[in-house]
Amino acid sequence: MRHTLRISLWMLVCLSFVAVRAQDKVVTGKVTSSDEGAGLPGVSITVKGTTRGANSDAEGNYRISIPDNATLVFSFVGFSPLEEKVNGRSVINVQLTQDTKTLSEIVVTGFGSQIKRELTGNIAQVKGKDIENMPTPTVDAALQGKAAGVFINSGSGKLGQAVTVRVRGNSSISASSQPLYVVDGTPITTGDFGNYGGETNALADINPNDIESIEVLKDASAGAIYGARAANGVVLITTKRGKAGKTNVSFNFQTGSATAARRLPFLNSEEFISFYKQAAGYRDRLANIDPNDPDSFTQSIFGAGGFLDYYSYGTYGTPQQADVNWQEQAFQKAPMHQADLQLSGGNDKTRFFISGQYLDQTGTIIGNRLKRMSGRLNLDHQANNWLSVGLTMNLARTENQRLPDDNAFSNPLQMAALTPLTPFLDPNTGLPAGTPPGDINIPLYYNPIISINYAKFVATSIRNLTNGYLQANIFKGLKFRSEVGVDLLNQQEEGYFQSQTVRNQTRATNGIGANYGTFVTNYNTNNFFAYDNSFGQHGISATLGMSYQQSQTKTNFIEGTQFPSNSYQRIASAATKSDGSSTETNFRFLSYFARANYKFADKYLLSASARIDGSSRFGANSRYSFFPAVSLGWVLSEENFLKNNTVISFLKARASYGGTGNSEIGNFPQLGLFQGDAGYAGAAGQRPSQIGNPDLRWETTYQTDFGIDFGILNNRINGEIDYYVKNTSGLLLNVNIPATTGFVSQVRNVGKLENKGFEFVVNTQNFVGKFKWNTSFNWANNRNKVTDIQGQVIEGGIRNMNRVVEGQPIGVFYTVEYAGVNPDNGDALFYKNTKGADGSIDRTTVTNSGYNSAQRVVVGNPNPKFIGGITNSFSYKGIDLSVFFNGVYGNQVNFYGVGQYSSANGIYEDNQTKDQLNAWTPENRNTDVPEARYLRGNGNQASSRYIFDGSYLRLRTATLSYTLPTSLVNRVKLERVKVYVSGMNLATFTNYKGWDPEVSADSFTSNFAIGNDFYTPPQPRTILFGINIGL
Amino acid sequence: MNRLFKYSFLTAAAMTLLSGCDQKLDVAPTQSIDDVAALSTSKDVEVTLIGCYDGIQDGDVYGGAFQYVSDLYGDAGEIRFGGTFANLLEIFDKQLTTANSTASTTWIDSYNAINRCNNVLSALDKVEEAKKARIEGEARFIRGALYFELVRLYAKTWGDGDNAANAGVPLVLEPTRSVTDADYRKRNSVAEVYAQVLDDLTKAENLLPASNTIYATKNAAAGMLARVYLQQGNYASARDAANRVITSGRQRLVTPFSSLFYTSLRNGGANPAEYIFSTTVTAQDGANSLNTFFGTAISSIPGTAGRGDFRILPAHRALYGAGDTRGEFFVTPPSNLTYTQKHLDRFGNVPIMRLAEMYLIRAEANFRLGTTVGAAPLADINAIRARAGATALTEVTIADILKERKLELAFEGHTLHDIKRLKGKVGALDFNSPRLIFPIPQREIDANKQLTQNVGY
Repeated sequence: MRHTLRISLWMLVCLSFVAVRAQDKVVTGKVTSSDEGAGLPGVSITVKGTTRGANSDAEGNYRISIPDNATLVFSFVGFSPLEEKVNGRSVINVQLTQDTKTLSEIVVTGFGSQIKRELTGNIAQVKGKDIENMPTPTVDAALQGKAAGVFINSGSGKLGQAVTVRVRGNSSISASSQPLYVVDGTPITTGDFGNYGGETNALADINPNDIESIEVLKDASAGAIYGARAANGVVLITTKRGKAGKTNVSFNFQTGSATAARRLPFLNSEEFISFYKQAAGYRDRLANIDPNDPDSFTQSIFGAGGFLDYYSYGTYGTPQQADVNWQEQAFQKAPMHQADLQLSGGNDKTRFFISGQYLDQTGTIIGNRLKRMSGRLNLDHQANNWLSVGLTMNLARTENQRLPDDNAFSNPLQMAALTPLTPFLDPNTGLPAGTPPGDINIPLYYNPIISINYAKFVATSIRNLTNGYLQANIFKGLKFRSEVGVDLLNQQEEGYFQSQTVRNQTRATNGIGANYGTFVTNYNTNNFFAYDNSFGQHGISATLGMSYQQSQTKTNFIEGTQFPSNSYQRIASAATKSDGSSTETNFRFLSYFARANYKFADKYLLSASARIDGSSRFGANSRYSFFPAVSLGWVLSEENFLKNNTVISFLKARASYGGTGNSEIGNFPQLGLFQGDAGYAGAAGQRPSQIGNPDLRWETTYQTDFGIDFGILNNRINGEIDYYVKNTSGLLLNVNIPATTGFVSQVRNVGKLENKGFEFVVNTQNFVGKFKWNTSFNWANNRNKVTDIQGQVIEGGIRNMNRVVEGQPIGVFYTVEYAGVNPDNGDALFYKNTKGADGSIDRTTVTNSGYNSAQRVVVGNPNPKFIGGITNSFSYKGIDLSVFFNGVYGNQVNFYGVGQYSSANGIYEDNQTKDQLNAWTPENRNTDVPEARYLRGNGNQASSRYIFDGSYLRLRTATLSYTLPTSLVNRVKLERVKVYVSGMNLATFTNYKGWDPEVSADSFTSNFAIGNDFYTPPQPRTILFGINIGL
Repeated sequence: MNRLFKYSFLTAAAMTLLSGCDQKLDVAPTQSIDDVAALSTSKDVEVTLIGCYDGIQDGDVYGGAFQYVSDLYGDAGEIRFGGTFANLLEIFDKQLTTANSTASTTWIDSYNAINRCNNVLSALDKVEEAKKARIEGEARFIRGALYFELVRLYAKTWGDGDNAANAGVPLVLEPTRSVTDADYRKRNSVAEVYAQVLDDLTKAENLLPASNTIYATKNAAAGMLARVYLQQGNYASARDAANRVITSGRQRLVTPFSSLFYTSLRNGGANPAEYIFSTTVTAQDGANSLNTFFGTAISSIPGTAGRGDFRILPAHRALYGAGDTRGEFFVTPPSNLTYTQKHLDRFGNVPIMRLAEMYLIRAEANFRLGTTVGAAPLADINAIRARAGATALTEVTIADILKERKLELAFEGHTLHDIKRLKGKVGALDFNSPRLIFPIPQREIDANKQLTQNVGY
């Protein structure tokens, strides 16, 4: 296959030697905007049918030399293109009208771009201005609700953490389901490089305000050009470039603060006492002990020297008895400041974009803070009439003061489980409870405040993304482009836990320090020919090229203990260097790709693409794979029967089919391996670490997409409707194998799954004129179904309650079905759900002792039935208001992480949620909360009891801005002054009982372990004030 | 001409950039090696044997779980469990779910270690002749001991019905290189597993040297054999194996009793002369999960740690007589909860077998058989009592011997298995209650349709 490609290349190149030029004359003129009448800088003026062109200058003036009888094409983003026959004129002034239809916009595709009206694939575009200045440090979170069929879950309110992004559903079980991110042509390093807390997010190093546009390649036709890497969708990020003309300077500053909005009600002291009296009283009755007996359960909590006496520092039952809302201590009001400076401009030959940003954002959970400084320089230079070169360079420093993962006693939100009678301050020392020299075993669990005060874990990354290109126009229509990209990620994590944290960090008796270095070096090159020409009614464009990527990750780690004092926090001072390591891993991709687009009479569109991918991740026998795609479009509105229709202004039907792959399974999954990490007592040792599979190959997704693009009433209403079916086969699956082999899983190509759904996008201009009102709405549903996993049982999440079940969506909640409470005795009940010989289901119930005999069944689905977003923007005389809601419907969330301890009939001594006050008592028989029973399971076993509806509708952002009149600001030599106030997550409408329905506990998240809550910090509600000044 | 040059140059440049190199995709791992190449030399096999010790050092294997599970599972009113680990609470309540994480992790990690042993045993032909016997002996000792622990936890106890019919655990004796149908194994019978255990341990005793630093020795194998025979009620063989250990003179009872523990804090990590076998824990390596759950941080004793989940109740402490230093070997921090001092040391080695147990086995077996091989039962019991500072007995009954065994070896992993072999009770549960047998882990049943689940799950 590669040889065929090479031969084709040679033929293309040979053709290039035929080149012709004709006689020239000069035309000048001015381009103005029909709206304001002002000169338009940076308008592209081309001679139709040639590559010859010029740009208008800062005042909108242009000068171009042309052949006789040419036609000039004026085009500018956001305006309708205009064609003018020269007809011998030497001065041509034109007025461009602002484009009301999005259809003429340019959409970035892989290795090229296309006019949206001519697209035959499905690409969602999000403009940089739609996500600018959002208080989310990572760009993926900002995309939420903006693109149809792109599901985003920020997971937690912790800053800079991983965000789940699913393009048209989850298409893998064991391999990654995150899309491929490509920034200015380079597939960038993404994912988790953290060694503490939840997964980190390498996208945090990218300043969202540098982004011109984001394109999400959703169907196979759009994605196949990224072949083996596109099955999860591709997110193309294009950064801003300079335009010829006046230098624009823009300064933006915003400041504000965030709070976490929702709280979960927990018992106060009085309620705690009465609840645990019930719980212990039950045990005493059961054991036939007098509650006043010193050995009784009641006395073990309430007696002298008992639980409450001890954990209240003896204040229980005294006037000093405390009533602390521990949950509240986890939250803080979180200030945020952000300053941006952007400069852009240039002349005909050289254009530039320079930006800088400083961001300082505090988390709404104590101890969390993210600071970012980033700078960018984008340059484009036209060396001569056939050669242009350019460079984009981004340098960022991100510092993240991190929090532990959700399932850690030091997670501040776990304070909610502490006893309300434990005073916040130790009365003996005046320090937070549990701080040495006070008794460190108080409160009930480790007090996270101590880690906030006496420990830190800071991740600092320096990121350099540099991409250079060289583009040569070989002859009319044919160009060659070579891109080289480097993505360097250099991260250092420093952690130090002072001796005060010893209850949590048991080795911190004299302090413990750790230092992790991570260096990811990622090189990429793309080299391709692009051909674009039209012959009469025929338009042809083609792309042919290759790309090669190599990535290397090196890490090192050192840990020390025994520090002279807490003043020494570098490992140089550690008397014991207690641990250390260094690692390296590599992967490489070599790919060849080709694409051809053909259009006839602007009506009939055809596109075909293919890619051959090779990867170091697979065995030599199955290393290469071929990914073809084909798509068709028919612009019905160009046909005579619709051409003059006054209602339907645009109508296009399109269809695509093609294959993409997924190879994100980590490095070397195919090899049988030994690892040398099995040392014992100072002697080196090795162990079998992985069972091989030499036949391992790609996971392949074939996707069919049918779509309609429409425009009604001069495109004031326009939109897209899509239906797709994505079939993934040869799943890269961590297949469970009998542990008696010495291994628990083997990566095999086993199984199939399917995603299908509808997407609906509509943009309307409800009012035009002085008062403008635009609405854009997107809605998508996705039905995921695992069609075949060959009987594998794959489970994960909290207490393995998420499962992959054939015939069900991935990760359904699979557990025992809760049947409520026996009104006679307060026992929790569970449905048996066993299948009889005749296929009937036994709906009788069992109680706690029969729990094991109750059959586990599918009780919920963490995947949403549909997702959507709606933005309404209004503007009138410089006042702009934009209101954006997003919603997720039909998914369930597993609250068991919290519920098993805190809504758990007092089985442990954890503080309980207020709903437990409704527990069964002889006087309160009709309830679904079982009787309180201290140290006895009564309904807190894993079951459907804790699985709740996670649907929500959220006022995600609202921004009100006022642009001061130009006449006013011109007086102070400014071009633009805008002030604004914006809010994020202002309101959430949900029935979910936990902190936040948009949740994914970082300790448990995988492709199928989704929808879990484990004292997970909620999303922040942010209010910001900002000013934007242009000069 | 100029144009021709330009195009030629461009074409050449383009072709260079477009032609990739297939061999670029040949990337080898840097931290791992191919499993075929991993066992090519004697040294390779020796380091794999070290890997076997690393395997059993795991906190869910001999790093503590085998021991604490026995004490927690077999407890009836001498321990109170107070943590948030549902897996442990289920064991404490004798009401396990099939997804119990201890049941599954102990199974998985034990078989992982067994596969390491099988790798060693499959490559003995690579081993230098002088080392061959020792290496085979160590691998067999570890494998035999693991199968003994597994069959005790996951199957009906020896003698509860027909050993040849009762399902034990699957026996895997070859290393796994690929997964075939043969790897989906049925459970072997209890009798078959015990036969393999005796075969491994007997061979190990013959092969192993008398001393072998911190690694398994002849006495470790003999001591483990004594345990196995005792579990089977084969008192003569148990007595003789225990007697071989005692009379070898390699270990001695150390005084005071407290010096048996705190190996890291007070003994620089070295084992006391009484230890027959232990897993070594250092600040850099290893886990002591007995410390994790039995231990707690006592501010007056730096280096102590633990979650303090297993609290010792007055009912247990009342069993010790006056003057018995073992009865004082507890600590009550300000929380008013009481903990054993045996496992306070965070980096303390995990004791698996010590000489006192051999005296107790010999005494019990001699008493039951009416023999005095090595010493009279009274003499053996008084040797243990004297070291602890307890008053000497003038005569012994079987009850005295068993009580002495309980006190001396408390919280060292004998409770459940002693109740089962003595056909006693755990609270209201009979020794053979299905609730006192671990479930075959759900993940294992799911992954291997050949396995049958235990009754009651």
